[in-house]
Amino acid sequence: MYYWHWLRHILRAPDTSGYPTEPDAAVAAMANPDAIGRLAPPQGTFPRRAAALRHIDGGSCNGCEAELGLLASPDYDLSRYGFSFTPSPKHADLLVVTGVITPSMAPIIQAVYEQMGHPKRVIALGSCAIDGWVFRGAPEVLGSLDGIVPVTVAIAGCPPTPGDILRGLLTAVDGMAPESLREGNSK
Amino acid sequence: MSSTTFKSTGKTEMRLDMATWLNAWQSLRDRNHETVLLDGDGMKLTALLMNCSTGSMVAIETPVPSLPSPSRMPAQPSHLGMQDTLIAEQWLANGSPSLAWKTPELPPVRGKGLFTYPLGPVRADVSESLYYELTVMGDEIIRLNLNPGFKRRHIREWVRGRTIDEAMPIISRFTTTSNVHHTLAMALAVEDAWNLPIAMEVHETRTLLAELERAESHLGDLALLAVSTGLPVPQMEYLHLKETLLRVNSRLFGHRYLRDSIVPGGLDSTLWPGGVHPRHEATVVARVRDEAARIADGLMRTSSFLDRLHGAGTVPKDTISAMRPVGPIGRASGRAFDVRTVRSYAAYLDADLRIPVEQNADAYARFRIRVRELDESLSLIQRMLGAWTPPAVASTPRGLGVPVRGHGVGIVEAPRGMLAYRLQVDSSGRIGHLGVATPSQRNWPTLPSAMANGNILQDFPIVDASFALSVAGWDG
Repeated sequence: MYYWHWLRHILRAPDTSGYPTEPDAAVAAMANPDAIGRLAPPQGTFPRRAAALRHIDGGSCNGCEAELGLLASPDYDLSRYGFSFTPSPKHADLLVVTGVITPSMAPIIQAVYEQMGHPKRVIALGSCAIDGWVFRGAPEVLGSLDGIVPVTVAIAGCPPTPGDILRGLLTAVDGMAPESLREGNSK
Repeated sequence: MSSTTFKSTGKTEMRLDMATWLNAWQSLRDRNHETVLLDGDGMKLTALLMNCSTGSMVAIETPVPSLPSPSRMPAQPSHLGMQDTLIAEQWLANGSPSLAWKTPELPPVRGKGLFTYPLGPVRADVSESLYYELTVMGDEIIRLNLNPGFKRRHIREWVRGRTIDEAMPIISRFTTTSNVHHTLAMALAVEDAWNLPIAMEVHETRTLLAELERAESHLGDLALLAVSTGLPVPQMEYLHLKETLLRVNSRLFGHRYLRDSIVPGGLDSTLWPGGVHPRHEATVVARVRDEAARIADGLMRTSSFLDRLHGAGTVPKDTISAMRPVGPIGRASGRAFDVRTVRSYAAYLDADLRIPVEQNADAYARFRIRVRELDESLSLIQRMLGAWTPPAVASTPRGLGVPVRGHGVGIVEAPRGMLAYRLQVDSSGRIGHLGVATPSQRNWPTLPSAMANGNILQDFPIVDASFALSVAGWDG
């Protein structure tokens, strides 16, 4: 039965979007063009591809996790850019932090960052990790990664769409907007 | 004892002294009542119970002079709300274990050959922060202790003193993967307190939103379960279907997770894009339904999948009767309880739902329940979209005015189970106290006893995925 399934998949166009390095109207319609904010210019050299991601939930509502989980889906397939999730901080190149940042999670985020080998970069994923969003000022909510770990790229959104997350990841690695890597565009 | 009956919601409220209160609670539970919410508000304990056949509510209150006041709490600031509830639960567990939801404190396991396996709060892949403490002997899991609280956002306290409009964006972010149900429960509570009339087309659209969220949530849970048994093909197929539904959400309601569509008193169409094609989306949903049925059928014929699920994480009978799990976990344990049929809200009265029930209480039963609920949900969405046009609600009235009553209750069946909001408002309409009972809060305590029930360490991810609970909903 599965052979027919495979055959059909060979004959059919892939579900995978080329976004953000190729245009895709359906994904672009959900994306927010202003989602990516670069807080600090990337320091030094960085492996341009095959970056391993480590995600930490610093007090999220599960929305950013849901979208992050969909990056592995056939529709976005983050591995086509060489990204993969790693369980061990020691194997990670990129730290992705979601949520409002609670005092209980702050030292853990710091410990994970210190465990990561150099070079490394931090991505603040979602509006909560950037400024606390609707929880700014709530009891026991820090609302920012300032003073905990240095943030390279911030991806705004509640939650940011998978397309925005991919753009943010590529910006963190390349130091430039992924749209500029589209064929025909000069680098 | 004084008793007042509110005609509109069939709700009875009673103020009792402690001993009478405990007796009343026990006898109500014996008479087919389900505890919906245990709420500690200041010096007052409230148990809200629902009649499982009629859906009518009873609230029993008692003053609790022995509760420590918030000012005497240790350094943890401001848990008013959650902390009171926890103290109340702890207090109930000490005084009358048969009434408590919280697992009693277990004595530490000690002995030769025992190994404590700490897991979390940073654990594999993309997951929420929770600390599992597994005690294993060889491969067998002897005990599991769960330590939540890494991601408290103090939502119950944060909404205090706010107007309803100010509180809604926060409520929506309680758990984003269930945000439709959180806002719907809150909206129902507000509509109860303000006594707002709701048009039928609003009810229908709310039902559509709720079922879209349930289908998308179940697809995500099934993907997690498939990959926990090492089957990435069905995982990827389920994830593709989930993404397909999220894009339907985005095309119809302007947000992948359907945020901001439900507001107290009606709907908000600010985000909705114009020019939608519900009939076309119905065919997309029909395709998702066929595909989901095909994947589930394939999994049910895959022996490596079935071998891992059969008998894994069976919830013990004692745990079921004491904790009374809700949602798919409850229905997989022989509890035919679904708020949509017991206490119908939105347009579920006409929905003609079939509620699946399984008896085995293991991971396979939970898988089957989710598969059947998903199919039921998608078929309902398909039917509704076939006749749906976006209701004209462009200008939603803002500013609710003065509440009719000081309190309101909203109960819905979220994807993970019964979700209850109990709202108390002052005369100007600001939130005085908000009690929230999430299904995750209620179902998490059943996981340790299911896990330490003849499972080995390799079963842990499967059992965990078959429960598919949210930590955000527990920590609050």
